[in-house]
Amino acid sequence: MNETQIYDKVVSLISPYAKNREAMTVASRETKILEDLGVNSARLVDIVLAFEDAFDIEVEDEAADNIFTIGDAVTLINGKLN
Amino acid sequence: MVILFHFRFKYKFQDIDKIREEYKRHLNSCQGPLIICSNHLTLIDSIIQSLGLNSILGHLRRYSGLPWNLPEKNNFYHNTKWKIICYLGKCIPVVRMASASDGKKSMNKMLYVLNKGDVLSIFPEGKRSRSGKIDDVDFSYGAGQLIKDIPHANVLCIYLRGKKQGGFANFPSRGEEFYFKMDLINPYSQESGLRKARDLSRQIIEKLKIMEQEYFNDIAICR
Repeated sequence: MNETQIYDKVVSLISPYAKNREAMTVASRETKILEDLGVNSARLVDIVLAFEDAFDIEVEDEAADNIFTIGDAVTLINGKLN
Repeated sequence: MVILFHFRFKYKFQDIDKIREEYKRHLNSCQGPLIICSNHLTLIDSIIQSLGLNSILGHLRRYSGLPWNLPEKNNFYHNTKWKIICYLGKCIPVVRMASASDGKKSMNKMLYVLNKGDVLSIFPEGKRSRSGKIDDVDFSYGAGQLIKDIPHANVLCIYLRGKKQGGFANFPSRGEEFYFKMDLINPYSQESGLRKARDLSRQIIEKLKIMEQEYFNDIAICR
């Protein structure tokens, strides 16, 4: 899976939890998941677990703590897959 | 605080002696750390809960039984009066949406007091209910995050509600009588990491939801 495919998949997994729909339409790698997209911090756990299921990977707690932007998620997942 | 509770606001509990007797039994019989998980309706739920579980004298005699609380720092640490009350009332301030490192510091304090043999009270929903009922969809996983690191955790689920409580309210009505029921569970999950935290949190919320339904069934029967 290339990085673009990973990015598209990550965005689709985050989208259901984003309260700021407008920010979601213009999201980029720099978009902050909590602050910009209005994702509830409690739901970040659900998002990380969705990444695990979708990409068949395991995300350590410490690594999950360092996911702030869409780009952070893509980089982490890309590192595990490739 | 007690004077305000009983004389100014005229709050009272349904079956107060029974509540305190039951709590004492749980304290005496529990092997291992005891975490109280309660529904969250008003800003003073922790105070109501503490006064329900034991008298002030009772808490002074058995200080380890007075639960540690986790007030939102922004709500309660903005002036000296509240800081003093929180200090005396065994509070560990937490910040909502804290950074991972600040969250870990708070978690370490919670684990420390639990391992010391004290009781800790946490609101598993992660916030006050906006509807007046337990949110079993958009709840946080903080309770599960805490419990997953404690083998043999005993969770005392408490359903606390003023009988005049409708939907969202900051404070109970004057003259309120509180319904107060508790039930001990030992949540378990075969999962690990974040999945375990989520699973354990779900079990606690499901139990509280059942207790809430029992409350409304009781109310319906009484009518």
